[in-house]
Amino acid sequence: MTIARFLPLLMLLASLAQAQTPASQSGAVAKTVVGPGNTDLADGATALRVGNAEDGVRLTERGLMSASSRRERVAGYSNLCAGLAMLERLDEALEACNRALELDDRHWRGYSNRALVYLKQERYPEAERDISVGEELNPNARTLKTLRAMYRDAVDPVAPSIIIDDRREAAGDDADR
Amino acid sequence: MMRTGSYRLPAALLLWVLNVAAGEPAVTHVEDQGLERVPLNTVAPVYPAVARGERIEGDVQVCFNVDREGRPYRIAVRNSTNRVFEKPAIRAIRASRYQPLPADQPVPAIKTCRTFRFRLEPVPAD
Repeated sequence: MTIARFLPLLMLLASLAQAQTPASQSGAVAKTVVGPGNTDLADGATALRVGNAEDGVRLTERGLMSASSRRERVAGYSNLCAGLAMLERLDEALEACNRALELDDRHWRGYSNRALVYLKQERYPEAERDISVGEELNPNARTLKTLRAMYRDAVDPVAPSIIIDDRREAAGDDADR
Repeated sequence: MMRTGSYRLPAALLLWVLNVAAGEPAVTHVEDQGLERVPLNTVAPVYPAVARGERIEGDVQVCFNVDREGRPYRIAVRNSTNRVFEKPAIRAIRASRYQPLPADQPVPAIKTCRTFRFRLEPVPAD
């Protein structure tokens, strides 16, 4: 379960830098909106993406102090939330996610990151609610699919079982023999 | 994939649970007596993580020939309830082996079929 919980976190962090370059996502002319304008936020996202939570949080906090737009602040607080969650500073992470979502209540990554915090806090109803909102905003996000699986494993755990059936009747009478 | 030894008992139906170790699926092997080719090394497929995460169960029936040395070939999915299970099933067949035939015994042209049933059993929460 521990590893299973860590994997989606890495996936969350892997998506952080993308949050800072929305132009490239849409296939439009590459135009970095946040990165070059706020190198601390960009470097913080990079650090988080490679799993360096301490540097990621430090740089992101510094970047937030010089954030010059709402978009930068939303991305910054969302990334800060993910980094603090990595450091198991869950209450602070929740506060950062809440700030991101106060600034933009349609930021699916904010819901995704907050859902992870709720899962870590075993606040499953809140986690489910945030996963659902995130899925409405971005139905194809792999991160949310992983979080959904984590949520299911937490509240409705299952064990895989495989039956290998070599009986002829299992093959059926119309087997191509 | 888990490799399991195969053995036979006089009973018409042989059923045994091979592995219930944590993190690995429990594997049950059911077979008739008097099969044309005798399983020697049965490999169980991996339960796809995506399917597990989305709580998908399903069946895949794979048919194939077995050569004199006991290696499956001409492996093809005959029936499947969900494509997510097909690759793991084919990989498992490819890695499995049957008992070789003696040199004086003809290789039967008959196809062997195996059905994998992927199931998820509820377990108590921690």
